[in-house]
Formats: sequence, C-alpha cells, structure tokens
Amino acid sequence: MNEQLVTCAALTKRYGNKTALDRVDLELGRGKIVGLLGPNGSGKTTLIKILCGLLQPTEGTVLIDGQGVGPYTKSILSYLPDRMYFADWMKATDLFDLFHDFYADFDKVKAVNMCASLGVTPSDRIKTMSKGTKEKVQLVLVMARKAQLYLLDEPIAGVDPAARDFILGTILTNYNEDGTVLISTHLISDIEKVLDEAIFLKQGHITLHDTVDNIREREGKSVDALFREVFRAPNYEGGAF
Amino acid sequence: MFGKLLKYDFRAMWKQFAFIWPAALVLAVVNRFTLDGLGSSSSVGETTAGVAMLVYVAILIAMFIIAVIFTIQRFYTGLLGDEGYLMHTLPVKPWQLVASKLLCAVAATAVNVAVAILSMLLILPWDSGDLREVFQVLQYLCSHWSMESAQVIIAMLEFILFMLVSFAVGYLHVYLAMALGHLFNKNRVAMSVVAFIALQVVVSILGNMILPPINELISPLVHNFQGLEGFHAAMWFGIAIELAASAVYFAGTNYILHHRLNLE
Repeated sequence: MNEQLVTCAALTKRYGNKTALDRVDLELGRGKIVGLLGPNGSGKTTLIKILCGLLQPTEGTVLIDGQGVGPYTKSILSYLPDRMYFADWMKATDLFDLFHDFYADFDKVKAVNMCASLGVTPSDRIKTMSKGTKEKVQLVLVMARKAQLYLLDEPIAGVDPAARDFILGTILTNYNEDGTVLISTHLISDIEKVLDEAIFLKQGHITLHDTVDNIREREGKSVDALFREVFRAPNYEGGAF
Repeated sequence: MFGKLLKYDFRAMWKQFAFIWPAALVLAVVNRFTLDGLGSSSSVGETTAGVAMLVYVAILIAMFIIAVIFTIQRFYTGLLGDEGYLMHTLPVKPWQLVASKLLCAVAATAVNVAVAILSMLLILPWDSGDLREVFQVLQYLCSHWSMESAQVIIAMLEFILFMLVSFAVGYLHVYLAMALGHLFNKNRVAMSVVAFIALQVVVSILGNMILPPINELISPLVHNFQGLEGFHAAMWFGIAIELAASAVYFAGTNYILHHRLNLE
C-alpha cells in the first residue's frame, strides 16, 4: 500500500485553446475528507474526471495507490458524477446487482438499508423516479462501497439547504474511514465543518492546499471567508464597474 | 469481468426484443391459418389474411430496424453518453466494453435472422405428410453419412460464420465512426455521420486497390478445386478479409476509448 493515495504530477488538460488544468501537482493522503473548492469553470470536474479515467490528460501523470488509471484504480474508487448515469430500463435493484458484480467492496445489504432510510423503493423502475430520488439512488450506490477514494462531484449543488445537510449526513455516516473523500463544490459554508483539508482551484491552478485548521490559524478566518476573498479578487482588479 | 459485462448487455438486449421476437413467431402462426382465407370466396377471409400478412411483414421490418437502432444506441449512449459515466468507471478495460457491445449486437442480429427464417417456416402449410418427408430425409442423411454430407454441413457452418463476421464488420464500422465523431468537441453526432461516410469512401478505395490483385491470385486456385472445395476456399477467403477489417475497426475504436476518451 502506497503512503500517498493520489499523486498528480504536472497534470495538464487542454480543450483546444482553453487550458482547464495547468501543470497541477497534487498529493492526497488517506483517511481524510478533502474539499476541492473553486468557482464554476475552475477545473474541479476536469480533475475528478481524469482521476476516474473519463478524461485523458494532455500532459502529466496520475497515480492512485501507486498505479496509473486503469481497472485496478477503478476498483478502489467510488465516483458520484454531476449527472444521472442510469439506463432507464433498470431498477435500483438491478444497479445493486451490477455494483455487487463489479465491485468487491459493494455492500448490497447496506445499500438496501440506506434506501429504506432515504425513503427509496429499490424495486421501482428508474424512469418512474423523480430527479431527487434518482440522486438518492446514485448516492446510495456510491456510499454503499467501502472504497479507498470517493470522488464526489458537486453532490450538494442544485439542492435546497435541508437536502444538503441530508446528503452530507449520508456521506459522513457511510464512508470508509480508512479511505479519502474528495468533495468538489463551490458551496463552502455548507461543508467546511466536515473538511480536514481544502484545495483551492483557480483557473486550472492549485492556489492553496492545506489542512483546514492551518488555514484558519494562519489566515485568522474561516475557509469560506478566505474563499470569498480569493475568488472575488478578479472583479475588483478588473475595475470595470 | 467480461462475462459480467456480457450478462448486462444481453439483459438490455432482451428488454429490447422481449416483445418483438415472440410477436413475430405468433403472427407467423396466425398467418399460417389466415392465409387459407386467400383462396376462399369470403371477403372477410381475404381481408383478414391481408391484414395479418401486413402486420407480420411490418413486424419483421421493425425487428431489423430496432436491431440497428439498438446497436447504435447501446454504443452511443452506453459508452459515449451519460451511461458512459457508469460503464467507463467499472473496473474493466475499454476493449472489453466494446467487445461486449459488439457480441450482443451480432447476437441480436443473428437471432433476428433465425426468428425471420423460423417464422417463414411456420407460415408454410405443412401437413403431417410433409413433416414425415423431412424426417425421412434427415434419417437418410444420418444413416448414409459420408464425406459429401459432412462437406455440406461444413459449408453451411462456414456460410453462417461468414454472415456473423459480416455483421460484426458492419457494426464495427458504425462504432469507429461514432468514436471518431467523439473526438470533436462540438457537433459530435454530425461528425459521426461524416466519419461514417468518410470511412465508407476509404474502404471503397482500399477495396478497389487491394482486392483485385488478391482475387487474381486466389481465383485460379478456387477454380482448380473440385466440388465444394472451391466454396470452402471462397468462404475462408471472405472470412479472412472481414476479420482483418474487423481487427482494424476494433483497434481504432479501442484506441480512441482508451487514449482519447472525452466524456463531457
């Protein structure tokens, strides 16, 4: 087992002329909850997709548990995308069977119990479910695994504050404590209290990566307050208004 | 893991065809009886026979259209669309994803052909005498088993294999076109269509360049063969060409999914 769970070196991703990630160096340890924080378009989703293998980097390397992205890294990684990935003909129980078949760390009993506590009927067809219920099913699939690395892409975006607490509660009570959770969001105040580390991503660069305690101590303010300060700066500098 | 992928792809296929395959067979049986009405003087009988035949033919056509849509949709939405977020994060290799979709598509088409042939046999007005004759022929073939009858069976199997490989080449052509379209950041569907046509042109040009000299080389050999041997040689030549084309298409699609995947 490698000491570092995730190692990115000079990771770069370009879409045509646009650079989404620019020579990003990043190391993530184990047993941590890490916030990947940045405004829309800062490169959060791109970084997560590269870690998952859904995007190929233009340059640079990624190692997860010491290995390049492939079947092994996918087997230890649990990913919550920012969209629905279900086939309409499936039921939640079909998805549980699929996850049970492909991921040795998927706990089907836990998934069924989580559904019961979230008020989801697993035998219902996906296409008959509301958007909120589909999101819950996807959350159940991701959190019923005892993964080494959870990659949660904007899990609380687009839902009301009550639902945010509910989703965060589900994540915190179900994740594998030996694993690391990387949560991308721009809604810092809602998750700051649960974070061990914060990463600020700005226009494809990591501008800050430290423990939340260090940030508070050094800056004398909350991560949320620092985030607002850092990411508001370009407007003032622009001087257009 | 590959077996598990096949399990889910075949399950998706069954959901798609679970109604239409039995429907084609049931309608064939219905036509078997309503067709008698065609010769009768009753206009009701004639109308019923006409409608039943129309519905049967429509079902057969629909079956093959669904197979094409199923093949495109399973690859496009399953691997390059939103479902790709699930499929590409499963702990499997990209070639396994492609191979599973391909085997499933070929199987669906093969079953379509089998259902179409079986349904046509069901429509024929067999009576007990006809069935007895068929049985007698089969019994004769079994009791007088010879090299010639074995050759006929082998030739039929070769033809079936040739057809299956031909289906695979057709589908892989479509897969590669969709994968090439995926390389573009915008208008991916339109670019897939353009890639399909461009591939078709390239294949035609290469075919015209490569096939005539090979044909010239092979033809005398084929003509020198006695009886079915010429047919065997032609089939294996065709299978080899189709397999070579499949390998190129498959490698291209796999390369793009492995090294150029860009799900948005």
